[in-house]
Amino acid sequence: MLNRISPQTLRILALLAVLALVLLFFSTQVPNYLNGRLFNRISSSVAIMAIVACAQTLVILTRNIDLSIGSTLGFVAFATGSLITNNPDLGPALLLIYSICLGACFGVVNGALVAYASIPSIIVTLATMALFRSALVEYSDAKSITTGNLPTWLVDFPNYKVLTFGSYQLRASFLLAVVVVIIVHIALTRLRAARKIYAVGSNPEAAEMAGINSKRVVLTAFVLSGALAGLAGFMFLARFGTITVVAGLGFELKSVAASVVGGVNIFGGSGSVIGAFIGAVLVDLIDMSLVRWQLVSEFWREAVLGALILLSVAADATLMRRLVAWRVAREKARTQRSTQS
Amino acid sequence: MKKLTGITAAAVLLGSTGFAAAADGAVSLESGKDIDMVLLPKFLGILVFDQANEGAQEAHAELGNPGELLFVGPTPENSTAGQIEIMTTSATQGQGAVMLSNNAGDQISPSALAAQKAGTKVVTWDSPIPSGEGEDVFVAQVDFGSIGVVMADMAHSILDGAGEMAVLSATPDASNQNAWIASMKEVLESDEKYADITLVDVVYGDDQAEVSYNRALALVDQHPDLGVIMSPTTVGIQAAAKAMQDEGLCEQVRVSGLGLPSEMASYTMNGCAPEFALWDFRDLGYLTYYTAYGLASGQLTGELGETFTAGRMGDYTIEQDPGREGSKRILMGPFTVYNAENVEAAAK
Repeated sequence: MLNRISPQTLRILALLAVLALVLLFFSTQVPNYLNGRLFNRISSSVAIMAIVACAQTLVILTRNIDLSIGSTLGFVAFATGSLITNNPDLGPALLLIYSICLGACFGVVNGALVAYASIPSIIVTLATMALFRSALVEYSDAKSITTGNLPTWLVDFPNYKVLTFGSYQLRASFLLAVVVVIIVHIALTRLRAARKIYAVGSNPEAAEMAGINSKRVVLTAFVLSGALAGLAGFMFLARFGTITVVAGLGFELKSVAASVVGGVNIFGGSGSVIGAFIGAVLVDLIDMSLVRWQLVSEFWREAVLGALILLSVAADATLMRRLVAWRVAREKARTQRSTQS
Repeated sequence: MKKLTGITAAAVLLGSTGFAAAADGAVSLESGKDIDMVLLPKFLGILVFDQANEGAQEAHAELGNPGELLFVGPTPENSTAGQIEIMTTSATQGQGAVMLSNNAGDQISPSALAAQKAGTKVVTWDSPIPSGEGEDVFVAQVDFGSIGVVMADMAHSILDGAGEMAVLSATPDASNQNAWIASMKEVLESDEKYADITLVDVVYGDDQAEVSYNRALALVDQHPDLGVIMSPTTVGIQAAAKAMQDEGLCEQVRVSGLGLPSEMASYTMNGCAPEFALWDFRDLGYLTYYTAYGLASGQLTGELGETFTAGRMGDYTIEQDPGREGSKRILMGPFTVYNAENVEAAAK
């Protein structure tokens, strides 16, 4: 049966195995761990990061990186909050469109600079990370958005319980994240236009030869990523209510971590958003479990998180290699058998 | 014209009260000295620091200082390094005074000492330099020891005298929060009244909404009998209250600490955060400006026991800081405790 599974699926299976191992390990360490509460905590906290990781993956697939994603998210969260505070009657749809479009605008800036000015993305987005954040500091005028000024539909939305099984709750924010990831996944695997993202990432020269306008593909990837970051900004606003200029700080590196843990190749061209999603869950699970693990002090947690990320990537890679080797061996054995007979 | 006379009359009145105060030994600051000053918050974009700036600007206008008052601070992700850099730059630029809300612990000392050597006065406010090295005087919003008592008292009233509490602080490097937590621990241990209150944990939310939110939930998960989360930071207290509200935990775990009425009103009214405290950041900025102006213009020497008049706020004396041996402070005080009765009026 294993023969028919694609390497992508194998990778996801390996990730799920690592996820199970982490769960198993912490259930022996943290009292009262494996239950509905853990599921609710992780699912509502990972919803935002899952979308950000998905956005980051789109960019990484084209052999680029977006370090400004946290600043984009923060700016959108603040601007959306300030829009709804000043116009409390705006409907959900308009507000959502505003966030997504605003995020996409930031994506255009990044994408244009990377694709058409040919500046390496790590430099462009390092600069725009600071620029967007400073723009937010300037724009915010040292005010903050507070929950009290937001309409109830917005604040209540992330925790709206769509389905409840005992203590397990499927909340709207998590459902939205899952839907977004699935849509992007289907688009990436089925749509011709989206396959170009993989083509450009795995071999830009070959993609050009094949008649793909790689500049436009890179720009599109950044714009889509910005739009998703805008959506995540909307969700950030809804979940936390209070937005200051530090909103989304550190999300850029966490999203890269989630993508890489999720098996997205940092050199572009391979990986899936489903992987990035599971990567986000894994990073969040590790982070959340470490906070609840008495053995690790506040100051060591980051270090342990870093080590566990390395370990899970290594474990994932080893598992993958084993599986592939085992498959090759079986394949060989079979061909030998067939030539013998 | 009528307006003008009004202003002159007020100015004369102000001048005369200042003079009267000077007669009892308080230095009355002469206005109009040309001094460039820098107000340096922990980082930009937090409401309370902007309020402090408003107070400083008010004093700046009142004293008729022809120099410049700059409000510069690092961006949030770069707080420590940024503060050190701004301190160093201010010294090179020959600024008369830097007013610092320290977020860099003792790491700021070398650059603050260098600034002092270059003739720049260093006045800290909100959060001091823990060792006092490189600091002329600290303008304390309230007595740090009394914050410990107030926090312990709020916990006592919320818990009805007995139960578990945990602290959700800002960054591990924030010297004001660290001092307040230390003073609260001391109060809890030394006074029989709090014998049944146990402090089970101290965690840090880095003054970021999402980190604080997650830490608050982790506290609840780890300590099933937790009764109150005490958060001595305006960001942390809100995030914790939101987390408790979202998860329907307000009945079980209450939130308290230091918060802004405008940001906390809804949580106080729905019972998630029945009581919290704060002082006026505008006044703090105003008093800090007067102090720094006096020192930088040479009208104040910064000696212990020196008294001066800080405009509308009245007389203040430089004294020994009881929390930090060998350091000086000026005590502002008092602060207000907010609850369902007064929070809505204050929020407006």
